[in-house]
Amino acid sequence: MAQDPDAALMLAFQRGDATAFRALYERHARAMVGFCHRFVKDPARAEELAQDVFVKLHRSAAGYSPRARFKTFLYRVATNHCLNELRRGEYAGRLASPGAHQQEPDAAPDLDALPSDDASPFQALEAGRLAEAVTALLARLPEKQRAAFVLCRFEGMSYEEIAETLETSVSAVKSLVHRATVAAAEALAPFGPAAAAGETGAMP
Amino acid sequence: MSHPLDDLTALLDGALPPARHAEVERHLAGCAACRAERDRLAGAVARLAALPPPPEPSPWFLSKLEARLADEPAPDLRSRGILASLAAWKWRLAVPATAVAAAAAMAVFAVRQQRADEAALAQHLELLEEYELVASLGDVETAEDAAVVASLDELSPRKEGRP
Repeated sequence: MAQDPDAALMLAFQRGDATAFRALYERHARAMVGFCHRFVKDPARAEELAQDVFVKLHRSAAGYSPRARFKTFLYRVATNHCLNELRRGEYAGRLASPGAHQQEPDAAPDLDALPSDDASPFQALEAGRLAEAVTALLARLPEKQRAAFVLCRFEGMSYEEIAETLETSVSAVKSLVHRATVAAAEALAPFGPAAAAGETGAMP
Repeated sequence: MSHPLDDLTALLDGALPPARHAEVERHLAGCAACRAERDRLAGAVARLAALPPPPEPSPWFLSKLEARLADEPAPDLRSRGILASLAAWKWRLAVPATAVAAAAAMAVFAVRQQRADEAALAQHLELLEEYELVASLGDVETAEDAAVVASLDELSPRKEGRP
């Protein structure tokens, strides 16, 4: 694992090099904020969660050993923190409004996520509805499925890396990712097949 | 063979062993229903891959993080805490990484070390679950173990109802 530059930075930080930690979070800030975004809708909250992850990383740096791949170490901390946050949110939500749905479907599409260049209003609307459908899908998934699915589909991890991150077996990951992908196929069916031009035409 | 529906996502992700991959492909060649299901899943995967990326961090993300880190103590690697000895003991016996096994191991440990460590262990028993996580992260070697591990309770996927 010596060739892992992140592991090298972590070890340098353990030896007292504070700039090494700075390099670490500068390298991973964007990915972490994006990852946390898959668990909470509010951008400010996603940023707080990502900051929490780096603070936890800072606190546990002394116990880090390059035996664990840095990437899976980081995402394990992040996944557990985000799932914990969801549980807290659901608990608070249940207390506040016992009959309310966990995830309100009335939220406006995330405008930041829309293609802003020369997409037509129709395409922009479609993209917004698609983003909403994905958000709703993620909220419906059981938490392990959700974590495995996000790591696979949005973070581009291999099943082996996901297994290491979630501390489970590759065959369990295979099953989690498969069930979530089946659910995604159902949830995204109304949008038709993906088309290169961003249209939602009929299957050839 | 029976319809390999459960392997279709892994097939698309290139995650099947080569022999199984070839076997599933052979089945697909002769089974329209499975091909249709594969295409349905592939469509969803392509849809997801084409989604715009999540928003960028705000311009103040790094400065806020720096402000929070400024309040954190620097890591200290020189001294060892009780969890370090627990970790060493655990690795020697190669106890399976389950909370149950760890709890059983802890019970044995507690009996053996009763006179010396009973008080300290009592304080740390509640950290067992976190200890599983920490042990999995690698060596646990510092005096700050207790503090670090205590702060890790939020990371445990099994903990619920904590404030």
